Amino acid sequence: MIEFRNVTKRYPNGTIGLQDATFTIEKGEFVFIVGPSGSGKSTLLKLMLHEETPTEGEVYVNEFSIHDMPRREVPYLRRGLGVVFQDFRLLPNKTVYENVAFAMQIVEAQPKDIRRQVPVALALVGLSKKAKVYPEQLSGGEQQRVALARAIVNNPSVLLADEPTGNLDPETSWEIMNLLDEINQRGTTVIVATHEKSIVDLMKKRVFNLEYGRIIRDVQEGNYTNED
Amino acid sequence: MKIRTMKYIVKEGFANTYKNLLMSLASVSMVIASLLIFGIFLMLIINFTYNLNRLKAQVEIAVFLESDISQLEAGDIELKIKNDERVLAYTKVSKDQAYAQLMNQYLEDSDLLEGLTPDFLSESFRIHLKNADDSAAFTEEISKLPGVEDVSYPYESLKKLSAVLNWINAGSMVVLSLLLIISVSIIANTIKLTVYARRKEIEIMKYVGANDWFIRWPFIIEGVIIGFAGALASFILTCYLYNLVESYVNTHALEYGINDLIKLVPLGNIGGQIFIIYAIIGVVMGSVGSVISVRKHLNV
Repeated sequence: MIEFRNVTKRYPNGTIGLQDATFTIEKGEFVFIVGPSGSGKSTLLKLMLHEETPTEGEVYVNEFSIHDMPRREVPYLRRGLGVVFQDFRLLPNKTVYENVAFAMQIVEAQPKDIRRQVPVALALVGLSKKAKVYPEQLSGGEQQRVALARAIVNNPSVLLADEPTGNLDPETSWEIMNLLDEINQRGTTVIVATHEKSIVDLMKKRVFNLEYGRIIRDVQEGNYTNED
Repeated sequence: MKIRTMKYIVKEGFANTYKNLLMSLASVSMVIASLLIFGIFLMLIINFTYNLNRLKAQVEIAVFLESDISQLEAGDIELKIKNDERVLAYTKVSKDQAYAQLMNQYLEDSDLLEGLTPDFLSESFRIHLKNADDSAAFTEEISKLPGVEDVSYPYESLKKLSAVLNWINAGSMVVLSLLLIISVSIIANTIKLTVYARRKEIEIMKYVGANDWFIRWPFIIEGVIIGFAGALASFILTCYLYNLVESYVNTHALEYGINDLIKLVPLGNIGGQIFIIYAIIGVVMGSVGSVISVRKHLNV
């Protein structure tokens, strides 16, 4: 469960990242965060990751209180969160398999668990056959699917995606969104910041509209904007 | 920490050092330069102290008695010296013996001593102390005894030598600290390059929830490898140079007949300690350099 209570984020240079945001996202929800560039979508995700801390208000993610948690606990917060970015962020000198396994190695998982879970994650994103390939030999969509596999391999309860289809063509974007939906069906909370109007309109999920750091609209089964 | 994690960390540390070979070598040479200069000072101190102590032990205290002293008084003084716990050994030099010694010394210019009879000379005791540090107090006490005319001990000269030794000590500490600071910053710079080269990987590690120490350790290992490699190389160089100097000093000391006066500490006696000192300094420099760099550029 994720809860924001009157959260404001002001950056040191004076810009407002988020203004008085209050909402709750229950376990298993699928939420789109939409809005123009600079409206605060990334700030929202960064607050959940403790990449930023709120200037005012309280943020709860799983059992952690982001607004007053010690730094040393941050790794444990993040182990419960999977993250996907617009630019994939794969390691070029590691194979697909190694990229996914890396996420388990650095949290000191058992080797036998790594050998069991990595193939499962790769199968879920449909890349079992490309396990030994290096990222540069993959298309953008495939690279994002590797990133997805890496994000979910540790079984996080929440998956955060920051413009995951920003670098992809429409068809591939759909594949990624369907994968996110599938991951959501399996019980993971999925939060996606995006610009893809057509996808948001068709998927009929909960939608947050952000403008100038404020959540101006929060609807279930919503569209990208008010106009239908 | 689990064993496979340690394996991972050590492996990464070595891999980083190797990938950054040129900068690593530059850092290693800096460590070598620092330790060599430090080593020169260290050797100076060790040998100075060693020779000063040998000198102190060799130097004898001569207690000259008044020439008209009675046998009884002389006996008293001898008893005092004999029973003093600080005294290692003493010999009594009679007037005749002193005369004979003098004649012996001026064998070729014996005309200088013409007219001199043993009666002009005074009886003396030649004393060796167990601990040269007691000399000052002992000299002071004995000179106050009645019947003692003069006590000779090259106290001032030895004090000057000790002062020189202290200056060398202080100087080497200053030089060492300067060199340490320079080396540490150069190592920090090398590690910074690795941090920069691996920033993507580190970012991913942070997002996936790696512990700070899990991220830090490979860099610290890298610093330790650089520091230790530098220590090892400078130890070998130091041994080589020391042997050169030792044989040079030994042959030339023999030439000038001062081979009894100046003697270098045999390398075998101090080699082990020197290596340990080098290794500790090298490893500490390396790890401090890493920690600084990681703190500054990794934000973990």
